[in-house]
Amino acid sequence: MKQALSLSVNGLAYEVVIEPHRNLLSVIRNEVGLTGAKEGCDDSECGACMVLLDGRPANSCSVLAMQAAGRRIQTVEGLASGGKLHPLQTAFIEEGGVQCGFCTPGMLMSAKALLDSNPNPTEAEIRRYISGNLCRCTGYSGIVRAVQKAAASSR
Amino acid sequence: MRTDYRRGDGLEKVTGQARYAADMVLPGMLEGRLILAGRPHAHVRGVDASRAEALPGVFAVVTHRDVPDRRYGSAVKDRHLFAKDVVRFEGDVVAAVAARDADTLAAAIALIDIEYEDLPAVTDAEAALGQDSALVHDEWESYSLGYDGVIRDRNDCAYVDIVKGDVAKGFEEADEVVEERYVCDQSHPVPIEPHAVVAQWSGDRVTIWTTSQVPFNARSGVAETLEMPESNVRIIVPHLGGGFGGKCEFHFEAHVAALARKAGRPVRVVFSRHDEFVAPDKVNHPMTIELKTGISRDGKMTARTARVVMDTGAYASDAPSIAEIATMMAAGPYRIPHLKVEAHAVYTHKTPAGSVRAPSGPQIAWAVEQHTDELGRRVGLDGYEVRKRNLLEAGDEGPTGQTMTAIGALECLDKAREMIASTRQEGEGVGLACGWWFSFPSASSVELKMNLDGSATIITGAQENGSGAVMGLALIAAEELGLDPARVSIVYQDTEAGTWDMGSSGSQTTFNNGRALISAAGELRKRLFDIASAKLEAAADDLEIADGSVRVKGARSRGVPVADLAAAAFGQGELLVSRGSAATIPMPENFGATCAGRVAFPAFADPTFVCQAARVLVDGRTGVVTVKEIAAAHDFGHVLNPQGALGQVEGGIVHSIGMGLTEGTQYSGGRQLNPHLLDYKLQTAADAPAIRVEFVDVDGSSGPRGGKGVGEPPIIVAAAAVANAIADATGVHVRLLPMTAPRVWSALRENVSLGGVEGAASPPGLPASGEGAGQ
Amino acid sequence: MTAVEYFEPADLKQARDLLSRHPSAAIVAGGTDLVVGSRSGKRALPKSLVAIHRVNELRGIEGQHRGGLRIGALTSHADVESSSVVLRDWSALADACALVGSPATRHLGTIGGNVCNASPAMEVGGPLIIFDARVELASRGGKRTVPFHEFVTGPGRTAAKAGELLTAVILPASNRRPPVGSAYLRLEYRQAMEIAVVGAAALVAVDRRGNCKRARIALTAVAPTCIRVRAAEEMIEGKRLGDGVIDEAARAAAALARPIDDVRASADYRREMVAVIVARAINRAVARAQEAVR
Repeated sequence: MKQALSLSVNGLAYEVVIEPHRNLLSVIRNEVGLTGAKEGCDDSECGACMVLLDGRPANSCSVLAMQAAGRRIQTVEGLASGGKLHPLQTAFIEEGGVQCGFCTPGMLMSAKALLDSNPNPTEAEIRRYISGNLCRCTGYSGIVRAVQKAAASSR
Repeated sequence: MRTDYRRGDGLEKVTGQARYAADMVLPGMLEGRLILAGRPHAHVRGVDASRAEALPGVFAVVTHRDVPDRRYGSAVKDRHLFAKDVVRFEGDVVAAVAARDADTLAAAIALIDIEYEDLPAVTDAEAALGQDSALVHDEWESYSLGYDGVIRDRNDCAYVDIVKGDVAKGFEEADEVVEERYVCDQSHPVPIEPHAVVAQWSGDRVTIWTTSQVPFNARSGVAETLEMPESNVRIIVPHLGGGFGGKCEFHFEAHVAALARKAGRPVRVVFSRHDEFVAPDKVNHPMTIELKTGISRDGKMTARTARVVMDTGAYASDAPSIAEIATMMAAGPYRIPHLKVEAHAVYTHKTPAGSVRAPSGPQIAWAVEQHTDELGRRVGLDGYEVRKRNLLEAGDEGPTGQTMTAIGALECLDKAREMIASTRQEGEGVGLACGWWFSFPSASSVELKMNLDGSATIITGAQENGSGAVMGLALIAAEELGLDPARVSIVYQDTEAGTWDMGSSGSQTTFNNGRALISAAGELRKRLFDIASAKLEAAADDLEIADGSVRVKGARSRGVPVADLAAAAFGQGELLVSRGSAATIPMPENFGATCAGRVAFPAFADPTFVCQAARVLVDGRTGVVTVKEIAAAHDFGHVLNPQGALGQVEGGIVHSIGMGLTEGTQYSGGRQLNPHLLDYKLQTAADAPAIRVEFVDVDGSSGPRGGKGVGEPPIIVAAAAVANAIADATGVHVRLLPMTAPRVWSALRENVSLGGVEGAASPPGLPASGEGAGQ
Repeated sequence: MTAVEYFEPADLKQARDLLSRHPSAAIVAGGTDLVVGSRSGKRALPKSLVAIHRVNELRGIEGQHRGGLRIGALTSHADVESSSVVLRDWSALADACALVGSPATRHLGTIGGNVCNASPAMEVGGPLIIFDARVELASRGGKRTVPFHEFVTGPGRTAAKAGELLTAVILPASNRRPPVGSAYLRLEYRQAMEIAVVGAAALVAVDRRGNCKRARIALTAVAPTCIRVRAAEEMIEGKRLGDGVIDEAARAAAALARPIDDVRASADYRREMVAVIVARAINRAVARAQEAVR
């Protein structure tokens, strides 16, 4: 039976009515209408659906939408603010961190959570932190360069 | 060319604005799904959808009865859209369902009754070649072909060979002969975006948004199978989330179009990751590779016989051209005067294999390059030296008789070796591998429009899979017309808007579209110079175009903005539009056409060359291999878009390492055992090694600005370099791909029990108990 | 179609009451094998879901009287991994929690979830065995504790009764003289997003002369549940530790493994690897015991 749910996404409240077994990813993409977070697999195995829940990364495909009530959800659409790109977004474009772009929203959210908690990560720390986000295009080198550049530019 | 260029689609991708096919939402849209066989071989006794159709919210169920009864296929017309009487692999599509939401869809699928009679499955390609083998296609002889020249016999759906010189004589001249067998498992392209198709009818015309690398193939496929004019089919690719060949054919567009037509509503079908593994008929061929090569004491290869048996799965797809490429890969970029190389593509009841990124390249290079190291070892030469003495040079004859011209193979070898030597650490194994690939001349036509404000628009039918090949066209146009690339827009991957293009395959996009664009830009520039020469009272030959203006060479202050020229032309009733085509590039002279089974690759046009070197650590107790670094040297002729080329090389290397160490599909009785990402293991960011890349500049290619094809070569040799590095560290060559930890471990153990490397007391590089890399 | 009821208790009492009224409800903590499994059709959806993420009483790590530790069931793997007391005194458990899932999502998965999922390859199983851990269960009828090794009864099966909720994992105080070290290692094919091919947890108490006074060894992913291997422990207890002794114990552990062939590895390879990984786990535990002295 459908239940009402209030979700806070990028600072805005969305009232939705859903079956309780729905995962957060499908509600963000459908009822909330933000398609940045992607579905790449069935099982928390690719990270394309990564969003931030209270500032920490979560595979939204594996979270019940109902459990996200009362928590601060952030998606890639909320990264830029006041019309200005986040340093990570700029760096991804400049350093070849984007090719097909499908892993990019999830990758950006993981990277943001990393820099928010560790503003000066080593290369090994970056690679470990984003190891839950698969990319088939870049070999990760451009992504690592982008995160390093964003970290440097924010200091 | 400028290195500060930023790809034009970067901004929408980093903001989440970029729309991919699964993001498409249309009013009244239904959710659909394809029902797959789920078994490798069976008669379909009946499909009863009556209960599903009666469920409220179910709009349509479609089977073979709802589409014309005809076969399709690119090389061999051997399949139907929906299975008629038989399913031949677990991903064969039997039906499709559309319903108003995901829950109704799931309920409907549970109500569809399909009765199967399971049949034994043919799963061994070598056995399937036998005259007594059961047939995967009983009616193979009645199938028509997509093109001439395919040699078929029963389950062998493509035989190709190269015969050069006299191998018997060549082996007599050898001082050492090495004979080896290598085996490769199936692997998958695994784009992060699964297939998705949205179809919407408007009267007789259908628009299909799809995850296709080849929109024009998709259009002709829909037109052919649904018996409609191509002019009534429009294929649009929204942003594509990677392809790697997995989306390189007419796949599911007609299935979804048929479903939407019957449902009377737009329909969206999005694949699950499981279905992405099982259903699309573009996986990497499993294969066995038998190599026998003779080498003289002074290190020159004298003769080679090779036999490649490729498991092509249930349908032929483009197997014949891949078999052709396989013969060139088995010969390798080497000077071997006598060759007898043959390749077979064989039907089995598995997911069909096809042109995944550099098809047959990674597998065969992995075998040939280990073979090459062994050949060197037999005559006392290391990996560098044996290659130095045998790699093709300008003036040499290639495997099918072409004369090599613009070729940087030796330079790549030197460069890669130099790079890896500078970073090598104690305890590491180091290996080299060389390879080659082709550029693919194809028909291509591009339109270029100048807008009244001096900005420009390129219209092309090309497809951008993420590599930046289409985005890089803006850079070329900008250079040709003195514009800022940010003022050049591109209309692409829409069959109604651009002319026919081969799609993002064969490393062809920049090679062909680039040339067409340069031609179109040249025409436009000439027109601008004509208009300007009147205004500036200077001869057209004395003019140049840069920074948004046409100006007199050597007198920069005498110039006129391009926007003014465009406005002036408009004032006279003229629109500034031009069209350019890529001129045909003749194939270099060769005898390939006389070899059996030749359809597309009698030789390699404008070949590219690569050498990559690997540093690895091997945990001798567990077989786990850690790749520390890959150093890559590539001859791409002249690189037009350095950021794009670098991205292709870095990505291709990591993909190759995945194929080499951790990926691989395991089968049981015709069913994939690991169609999911936990057990089909891609390299993560924590696994990917350090990568260094150098481009070797080589003159003489026919490509745009002397460039050659970039997309595929990067994936070909990294796994091979890793294999040679493992052998360097342990004394053991691993001849099963992927070289998983258990396989490396077994190979080490076998070698120990056989007494180790000739002349060594025990295999070098095995740590003592309790030690070891990684843990 | 599917009618699923959803409840979100605000505290433990509400949770217990709900579970007594809906004894076959599925309990959802942080992440969810449940959501995923049902989406791909692997498992039917349960009729009721009780989401306990707001029951904050179940979160947290507390020292116990006389040196034990109580870890609330909703404590995340990230919190266990980074707890200084766990790192120091129950290192093997920190090792295990640091390996679950991916680094970015360790905040979501919970130790209770890992325990109740009861996978033969569960990371925390080996460490909980070597520490003689107990699990605490609560229901409307009251509380009880069960030794961990009796709680997990088979692949995906636990001894939890209908209406019961796992509330805590309890690590009893133990004798720290002579100094104790522990470690958990697993064999994996890539550096992240992995599941154990083979895992080994080891605990040793080592005196100044290098004699092992006490040992515990447990194996992961080579039997239907994680298992303790006493015969291997007995081969190092009371002995002076060196490569030969450790290797013998490791081989004894391997002989007790009951691995299967699956897509990740053959039983033979797993059995051989038990010896390798057990030896490495013991060595690391010994090194940590020696560090504990300083």
